[in-house]
Amino acid sequence: MSRRCALLVWALLALLGLGVAQKDCGPIVSRQEWKALASRCSQRLRQPVRYVVVSHTAGSVCGTPASCQQQARNVQYYHAQQLGWCDVGYNFLIGEDGLVYEGRGWNTVGAHSGATWNPISIGISFMGNYMDRVPPARALSAAQSLLACGAAQGYLTPNYEVKGHRDVQQTLSPGNQLYKIIQQWPHYRGHTPAPPPRRIQQWVGLEEQ
Amino acid sequence: MTPPPPKKKKTTCSDKIWGLMLTCRESCIFSGDLEDLIQAVAKVFEEKCTLAEGQTLSVSCPTNTNIYSKSQKAWQRLKDNGEIQTLAITEGSSQVQVGKYFLEDIPSEGMLQVRMINLQVEDSGLYRCVILGPGDPIILFSPVRLVVTKSSLGPPASDDYPCQTSVQNPTLPPITTKLRPRPRTVTQLIPTPTNSLSSSGFTVTPTNVTRVTRALGISIVIPVACGLLSKTLVFIGLFAITQRSFAS
Repeated sequence: MSRRCALLVWALLALLGLGVAQKDCGPIVSRQEWKALASRCSQRLRQPVRYVVVSHTAGSVCGTPASCQQQARNVQYYHAQQLGWCDVGYNFLIGEDGLVYEGRGWNTVGAHSGATWNPISIGISFMGNYMDRVPPARALSAAQSLLACGAAQGYLTPNYEVKGHRDVQQTLSPGNQLYKIIQQWPHYRGHTPAPPPRRIQQWVGLEEQ
Repeated sequence: MTPPPPKKKKTTCSDKIWGLMLTCRESCIFSGDLEDLIQAVAKVFEEKCTLAEGQTLSVSCPTNTNIYSKSQKAWQRLKDNGEIQTLAITEGSSQVQVGKYFLEDIPSEGMLQVRMINLQVEDSGLYRCVILGPGDPIILFSPVRLVVTKSSLGPPASDDYPCQTSVQNPTLPPITTKLRPRPRTVTQLIPTPTNSLSSSGFTVTPTNVTRVTRALGISIVIPVACGLLSKTLVFIGLFAITQRSFAS
């Protein structure tokens, strides 16, 4: 093997290592991967999206990729076959395996929060019931990474707002425990606008706002 | 990581990655006038909407299904002289129309829909959705800076998003921002505060679009750069080993 050939081989190997596609918000389990039925939805979401609605499926919990893929299919079956929707209602699902499952994705209007909120929000749902339990840390961080990446890629506005499902619909979702957690998220804005930090207010002499 | 050179004014915020955050923070605070800063802070929370005469302004102000379902909501105009003019109030009913102002309160969806029809140039100004209460009104969404232009901008848009979502802050030098509004972070990173500005340790909440986009970009660029660096080092090492073995 000549010297030049060796050089080329190493260069190619290095490039392979370097080449991580930064365009997608990976790793997300794609629809093909969890064997989703084809979507019949056509309504496109206007981007960038300003709101994210966090809910829970209130269904079974799954802890492994295999069981979460099955659970995603179950949720889709319920929405698409039994309720007659065009697809699973959520834009993304989060499993306790710490993985994000692609639902309707960034570009399609979801069916999670009613007619007022669906066209202006991305709906992410934690697979499970979180009234009395909390999702594991890997699931929470998967969700936050997804949203941070969405903002970085321009799917969400940089100042996007996270809402609990119960803030926008009459429901218990996302469950008491998960709701308490998301209220601590930096982008959470349940009711009032976040005032500027105290120090600015004092320093520039603003009273409120 | 070397500390940044002190008093480095007018540093472009696209320097070396390691120095970027620090030099940018320091220089970005010091450049620009005090007045610009105050204006920027006040303006940074406005939502700008530009529409043509005759068009309709639609604003969706999220309330909350649980908390304010029984409260009165209002659409107000903030005049330049500081006066606040209440244009319409939901008097316990879900829909209200006062002249050109429509308010629709949907407590079950946690939303207050506001519409101003048949806009005229005189309608340009600053508006807001509020919840009226015993104390100060609670401001919903963000204040809306409406600009009505004379010339027609073509056929009226299907008004779901008539407003630009970018924050009105065009020419101001970038203000120190952080993704999360943790005020302590700035003072930690700046080694020698040479101005009371920096020692107050403030951060602006991330509604300044260009700055936050850049900060987000930085938070992705740095790990990528680290990855690149380590892989390059590995490549060089392996190449050197290969050379040696083929040379002998």
